[in-house]
Amino acid sequence: MARSASATNKHPNKPRPTIPGFGLTLGYTMLYLSLIVLIPLSSVFIRGFGPGLGHFWDVVTGARVLASLRLSFGAALIAAAANAFFGLIVAWVLTRYEFPFKRIIDAMVDLPFALPTAVAGIALTTLYAPHGWLGGTLLSLGIKVAYTPLGIVVALLFIGLPFVVRTLQPALEELDWEVEQAAATLGANAWQTFARVILPALWPPLLTGFALAFARGVGEYGSVIFIAGNRPMKSEIAPLLIITKLEQYDYAGATAIAVAMLVISFLLMLAINALQGWALARHGGR
Amino acid sequence: MSSRLGRLLLIALALVFLAMFLVLPLIIVFVEALSKGFGAYLAAVSDPLALAAVQLTLLVAAITVPLNMIFGIAAAWAIAKFDFRGKSALITLIDLPFAVSPVIAGLIFILVFGGNGWFGGWLQAHGVHVVFAVPGIVLATIFVTFPFVARELIPVMQAQGKDDEETALSLGADGWQTFWRVTLPNIRWGLLYGVLLCNARAMGEFGAVSVVSGHVRGLTNTMPLHVEILYNEYNVAAAFSVASLLALLALLTLAAKSLLESRAPELRRRAHQSRDLARRERV
Amino acid sequence: MSISLRQVSKRFGSYAGIADLDLEVPTGALLAVLGPSGCGKTTLLRIIAGLETPDSGQVLLDGRDATHWPVRDRKVGFVFQHYALFRHMSVFENVAFGLKVKPRRERLAAAAIAAKVGSLLELVQLGWARERYPAQLSGGQRQRVALARALAVDPQLLLLDEPFGALDTQVRHELRRWLRRLHDELHFTSIFVTHDQQEAIEVADAIVVLNKGHIEQSGIPGDVYDLPRSAFVHRFLGQVNEVPVARRDGRAYIGPLDISANAEAAGDGEIALIRPHEIEISREAGGWSATILAVRVIGPIVRLELRAEGRPANEPLEVEISRERYAAEHFGHGETVSLRLRRWQLYPAESNA
Repeated sequence: MARSASATNKHPNKPRPTIPGFGLTLGYTMLYLSLIVLIPLSSVFIRGFGPGLGHFWDVVTGARVLASLRLSFGAALIAAAANAFFGLIVAWVLTRYEFPFKRIIDAMVDLPFALPTAVAGIALTTLYAPHGWLGGTLLSLGIKVAYTPLGIVVALLFIGLPFVVRTLQPALEELDWEVEQAAATLGANAWQTFARVILPALWPPLLTGFALAFARGVGEYGSVIFIAGNRPMKSEIAPLLIITKLEQYDYAGATAIAVAMLVISFLLMLAINALQGWALARHGGR
Repeated sequence: MSSRLGRLLLIALALVFLAMFLVLPLIIVFVEALSKGFGAYLAAVSDPLALAAVQLTLLVAAITVPLNMIFGIAAAWAIAKFDFRGKSALITLIDLPFAVSPVIAGLIFILVFGGNGWFGGWLQAHGVHVVFAVPGIVLATIFVTFPFVARELIPVMQAQGKDDEETALSLGADGWQTFWRVTLPNIRWGLLYGVLLCNARAMGEFGAVSVVSGHVRGLTNTMPLHVEILYNEYNVAAAFSVASLLALLALLTLAAKSLLESRAPELRRRAHQSRDLARRERV
Repeated sequence: MSISLRQVSKRFGSYAGIADLDLEVPTGALLAVLGPSGCGKTTLLRIIAGLETPDSGQVLLDGRDATHWPVRDRKVGFVFQHYALFRHMSVFENVAFGLKVKPRRERLAAAAIAAKVGSLLELVQLGWARERYPAQLSGGQRQRVALARALAVDPQLLLLDEPFGALDTQVRHELRRWLRRLHDELHFTSIFVTHDQQEAIEVADAIVVLNKGHIEQSGIPGDVYDLPRSAFVHRFLGQVNEVPVARRDGRAYIGPLDISANAEAAGDGEIALIRPHEIEISREAGGWSATILAVRVIGPIVRLELRAEGRPANEPLEVEISRERYAAEHFGHGETVSLRLRRWQLYPAESNA
């Protein structure tokens, strides 16, 4: 057995990693994470429960807070679901069909990623306001978008758009086309092939995209704050309520809401994770 | 597979959807920016307060991006080249900022560094301003944007494995030499890609910065905050003028992204799959 | 179902897939389409199935012009090279798929479907696997599922694209027997594509040899093997020795052997193709002298490599004899023996069309 020139191996049964830098990189990573993430985040929980569980519960179950939480999570859910549906169509069209400007449109799908949320916010508001390009037309159809919860859904739709499309595209590209042809030889028509053969394979990435869009939408602030009416109990999102309480120096209240958001998000993510695991096991089977 | 009509219908539906939610918002930024004429546009973007905002935005990005880049490289190195318990927990931890609302991201720094915060007393006693000042903005921006570089690099480095580094070591190179001469050239496209995304987000961050900044004009307003102020004052054209600069930045980012993806196709959509990566590692 | 292809052509860019191909396949035949990679055999199969449309020509199924019929209307069973099983469905669901997607009028009741799938799975001896998923099966088992799935919809034509290519030798052997048995029992018309001449000869009623998009020869396996019409077919259908033919004083020679009795001129610079078992080897003097370079015992036969007089060392002749003969005569390495030719066929030297 060769003796290395470096320090003796204290654990003869564990192979010493040949590549250096483990301690340095992992140490630095953990330090950075602790300073920037763990310690600050823990402050929310400590401050949130500091005044006592009872106080926490009082704040969180207040009518205004509940309304804002319902709005934030509800709008995010609807927007994510809409994104799942339209995102599937967009990903399908981008993967399977050819049409002019396809490459540019494909690149543009990432726009919500790259565009600052405030810019998106004012642009969408102006677009869907009663006198806006689209808002005016929709108003004549009896649909009011800006300054209503529907506006919030529209903003979250914009924000979450790339998540579903970008998770579906690689999955669609990897589909085994021979399997689709097999279905055709067995007599299935286009819809049957899609519903029975293609869609089952797409559930895992679809759920992933949905989860990502949902998580992003729940906490979204910048793009929503302009298009929402921001009226308490009606169109006030939870992040805005946090800021309002902060401005009133109600730290306890602000942190309570923050904790509630984090906990609910965490639980929902666990649920979606479980759903994904099930879908992967059921349909993945490579 | 489907009929021609069905195909056209789907394409039309997709395009209409994208137009309503993607293209039109982008167009309206520029239309509104120029709605009062080019002169007004120039006045808006060269206004001293606007320039101060641009300066601050650039400063924050200049600090944030390199720091996050170093973190990203370190984290990716640790994760890709070694096996250790808790690796998937670490990856999930890195993804954390994506699950946290930007407002909460700002809130936590107020809780730690604010007047009422853990270090508040100490900071005030020493005349150090963190929240409602530039350092606070930098911290909040770092929190929100640090995953970007890491998430790009981790899959890239995992895909490349350890072979090249082990070869270099066997030929006598030490750790740093290996990193500079072997690893870095290998990951340069992924690194550039991550830096690009990190920068775009850093310059555009709104929610977190809004909470910690204090909105002091000329001092603690970044470009997105400045846009908000102008808009709330009903100075719509000016707001969109400044916003158009950010929109141009976004378009530049997209173009650079496309270019990088054509150079290194494996970067495509890598960022969105690292969650699956974490999951597969658990399984 | 009978199949007729009339002047069918299909190009892929500058690469010609198949060109002006005519083919008749009678009902109930088991046909092998044999050829090297890139000869167009898979394209041919896919055109018959409707998975590709020909650039020109007609495809007739039972006498009706089906050239532009979509694949679902052709009622053709297709077995893909890599099985193309539905990963997310169990074996049972895979086989039942074709029955479940039928339009309401034609669809059987659930119980009837279950019974039919059950009997098909018994037929391919996979009844025990009905709840398993494809990922849990071996290659050979997956191929049997693919077969059962294709048969579930009672096709009158079964098309198989290199169905056994990705399998071990032993499994391949078994599955060839399966296919033959199923075909004889269920009486459908069958066309399978392969590059393995052994497989084609063993399984098929008739063979069509394809090369660069053209049919070189078609006929029963025995004829294609024994009476090849071109050097290509001769070479492709089994081992050959290639020896140039010399003509002197109005007589034809292979080595020192006078073959003028069966040596019609086949063009300039002729070569003779001789199969290893068509060369006679003995210790009697008077034939073509040769030295044994190597002896290999391969199952039921023994293959001898010989350096024949007048031929370069790196172009040995291969001769096959039976084990019994070898046991009796004990030909050994380095021995000098005498060769005679039983059969040969002449072709122009440049022919590998």
